[in-house]
Amino acid sequence: MTPRLSLYLPGDTPLHRARADWKLSVLLLAGIGVFLVRSPAVLGPCAGLAAVALLSVRTPPRQLARHLTGPFVVLALVPAAAAVFQSAATAVTVGLRLCTLLLAALAVTLTTRTSDILDVLERALRPLERTRLVNAAAVGLAVSLALRFIPEAFHRFHDIREAQAARGLSGSPVALLVPLAVRMLKSAEDIAAAVDARCYPPPAARHTERGGAAAAPPPARSPAPAGRKDEEATG
Amino acid sequence: MTSSHTPRRRAARRRMETKDVVLIALFCAIIVVLGLVPPVDLGVAGVPITLQTLGVMLAGAVLGPVRGALACALVVLLTIAGLPVLAGGRGGFGVVPGPTGGYLLGWIPGAFVTGLLVTVLATRPRSRPARQAATVVACLVGGILVVYALGVPWTSVSTGLSLRQSTVTALYFLPGDAFKAVVAGLVAQNVRQAYPIERR
Repeated sequence: MTPRLSLYLPGDTPLHRARADWKLSVLLLAGIGVFLVRSPAVLGPCAGLAAVALLSVRTPPRQLARHLTGPFVVLALVPAAAAVFQSAATAVTVGLRLCTLLLAALAVTLTTRTSDILDVLERALRPLERTRLVNAAAVGLAVSLALRFIPEAFHRFHDIREAQAARGLSGSPVALLVPLAVRMLKSAEDIAAAVDARCYPPPAARHTERGGAAAAPPPARSPAPAGRKDEEATG
Repeated sequence: MTSSHTPRRRAARRRMETKDVVLIALFCAIIVVLGLVPPVDLGVAGVPITLQTLGVMLAGAVLGPVRGALACALVVLLTIAGLPVLAGGRGGFGVVPGPTGGYLLGWIPGAFVTGLLVTVLATRPRSRPARQAATVVACLVGGILVVYALGVPWTSVSTGLSLRQSTVTALYFLPGDAFKAVVAGLVAQNVRQAYPIERR
């Protein structure tokens, strides 16, 4: 009943062995690149390349078909709309663009573990951490909690739905969502207490939870790195 | 916890506590699940409707602007990481430059504005129907106006349709989204009465 939570498909093809950061960088550049190019002569081979990459993953055909049904609806509708409202040439360009992106993204998604992608993202976030807007430890905690609680929320949703079906109620979204949200809010206290009890975020990144801590002004923030930077600057 | 009831000055400038991170993750999970479950049949204009965007408005309205926006940002992060977290099992980096990418990214400011408007409009009025109506308005503005403001131009850049045409495409989804905004408003108001938390 629980949905499978990753598109990753274990394997040992060249794409599987390629480094996650390279794959994601190429995908990012391709995502920007295809929107800068209009000519089908360039986009055509790009789409072909993406298709070859996807086929090189050697997905079982059945599974591949399942992954492609969603994208293909988009792939069919968007160029069709472009052909109706604009010209056939635009339709070809748009179709090839989307084809390249969707196929390449699927190839990368199928061959890269979610944990590897998250590692890359965390590394990408690290420069932002210096601006103090992002706390990589908190992001990591949030991601792992979310992954853990998606199946949990799914079960709760079905529990509530069944309980209401048993009472002859069917499908009022308000009646479904209020109990779901309230249950989630209630469990947040317990989960936070459990996380704190395990000292999960490293002490440096954690807000100290003590009697008067809330009213007290925030502690002076880590002078150590700033000091070190000064040393570097002077020395 | 007593801390959730003591009013604090400059609450927005406080650092993230574990509970905030947990709430963000839980509402991210709710948004994902609302996309996974088979759509509740609303029968509006024959458009298949999932409740996913309802989760977005709910996050803003229940958690408040900052945490609501962060819950949506977490969904975006999971999407980019290649998890099939969007409605219909979509996911992966390809979603972002695709035609619906703007709507996905629009969730972040959308939830923020929803939360902000609920704080500004819905905490003042004394009467229950007035608060209810204010919450619904907040969901309509944040969940539709703001999200479409990013989504429509994005579609037009991504697909080459003109702005007017992508607006027409968006109008197709408007009845369903409006319905969801009303439901989100009702749910949020009920949740806030059943289990009030400090909003930020």
